Amino acid sequence: MSLAASLAAEAPARGRRRRPYALLALLPVGAVICLGFVVPLAMLVVQSFHAPHGFGLLPSSAFSVSSYTQVLSSSVYRTLALNTLEIAGFGTLLTTVMTFPVAYFIRFRLKRAQNLALLLTLVLLFAGYIVKVYTWRVILGNYGVLNSILTSLGVIHHPLGILLFSKLAVFIVVTYLSLPVAILILVGALQNADPALVESARDLGAGGVRAVVSVLVPVAMPGIVASLAYGFVAIAGDYVTPQLVGGPSGQMIGVSVYDQFVNVGNPPGGSALTLLMLLVFVVVYGLLRLLERRFDTR
Amino acid sequence: MRRRRIGALELYVGAMFIVMFFPLVVLVLFSFVKSGDMRFPITGFTLSWYREVFSDSSVLDGILNSLEVGIFAGLIVTCIVTPAVLLLSRGRLRWAGGVAAVLIAPAALPGIVIGVSLLNLFGDLRMTLSLVTVTVGHVIYCIPFFYLILNARLKNFDRHLEEAAMDLGAGPWQRFRRLVLPLTAPAILGATMVVLALSWDEFQITFFTIGDRSTLPLVIWSRARRVIDPSVNAIGTLMIAGSLLIVLLTRRLIVESYS
Repeated sequence: MSLAASLAAEAPARGRRRRPYALLALLPVGAVICLGFVVPLAMLVVQSFHAPHGFGLLPSSAFSVSSYTQVLSSSVYRTLALNTLEIAGFGTLLTTVMTFPVAYFIRFRLKRAQNLALLLTLVLLFAGYIVKVYTWRVILGNYGVLNSILTSLGVIHHPLGILLFSKLAVFIVVTYLSLPVAILILVGALQNADPALVESARDLGAGGVRAVVSVLVPVAMPGIVASLAYGFVAIAGDYVTPQLVGGPSGQMIGVSVYDQFVNVGNPPGGSALTLLMLLVFVVVYGLLRLLERRFDTR
Repeated sequence: MRRRRIGALELYVGAMFIVMFFPLVVLVLFSFVKSGDMRFPITGFTLSWYREVFSDSSVLDGILNSLEVGIFAGLIVTCIVTPAVLLLSRGRLRWAGGVAAVLIAPAALPGIVIGVSLLNLFGDLRMTLSLVTVTVGHVIYCIPFFYLILNARLKNFDRHLEEAAMDLGAGPWQRFRRLVLPLTAPAILGATMVVLALSWDEFQITFFTIGDRSTLPLVIWSRARRVIDPSVNAIGTLMIAGSLLIVLLTRRLIVESYS
């Protein structure tokens, strides 16, 4: 047999032999994801379709939507949900808008310093979630750094009480927390953008900012959408920041989920809240996908 | 030739970086200040907060627990995800996209969802919460990131090298041991270090799955509930130092995935 024919005869056999290897490689991680992620989520769904109960009350195993009706008819949860949507929506929007120029600068204006800038962003990202929240609580306090700077500059005469234990405080902190990830996502999205595009926009007469925005935003849209999506989900699910800096007016829905599971002992209620939260995420993801498709440059 | 002007963009980016690092600088600074309540003027410098922290057994316990969970989570994630990445990035499976979506899925949800789903699971299984349950949570949390990073790095793996080895008669295990493993080891190590870093300051999942033990972020949490606890400055600085160490150790391994 010629060399070509013998190789051709061998090739399909090799392909067929590779399939059992494929399963072996994917089995461990597949099993872990299945047992540790998919199954628990399914259990949450099942759990949510039971009647609410609490510690010391016997759970009933009958199918029931009363947990959902209880959540959906409660004005307290409605307020919390609106609060959460407001903070997460505006927070991720502000984060993405604020970090886009930074990402542009890092990608297009830095050469040797680019790696250093990305490294600094990574350091900031890994600096510790709870550390940052705690530090902001002190900074925003009546005797904190921000108030004392403003007072000594003569801008204000009394400390601004609204800076802490308020919706504004939560908004500031969650926006701050999302900054590093947004920068990394946007820099990644701009990597494939050709700087010549901006130049040609300038040649056609567009002014500085307009040239950049009108050309790069469509190209980077997948990254912008990813940044908006990740920021929204991360902020909406934050249950620690509201507890530390939110006060009575700055609470978010995540705190209720925590409360239902840990303090009240009501898994059906907590699961119902979680599922509703996931539903909102799906809707937000869907809307953002529509936005992305509208700007599809391919 | 373009002149290097300090324009509005430069000023803005500079201001942004100052804003981003300002809280951390403040924290580190005041961990060395006598009064420790983060107020100006500074009353004097001291190491007493660190002395207090290092002699506190709950802090040392927290550090050890964080390290333990991090190392185990890193090992587990590396062992189970690396084969999958090696397969998906070098082969040409039709359903590779679907598998990738499943592996990335945990990152699409906030920590609270993973946390409560695991809490619910362990409750139904009548399992007591411990560092083991925490490690499970961290493994689930880190799988997507390990996959994304290693996959990005291995996409550039030259398949011709493997084909050449095959032509020279190397079997699959030989190819793995002497070609694939040495070439991919830096990338794998880098991804493992990222898992360590992620696990080190993970809080939102850990909080649900830890029971009565504590990792370092939880030590800070229990102290931060009081209005101002100056020892938190020192603990926080230690946390930042730990993260910095991990990031610096894997500097070249992580950043290169952007080029």
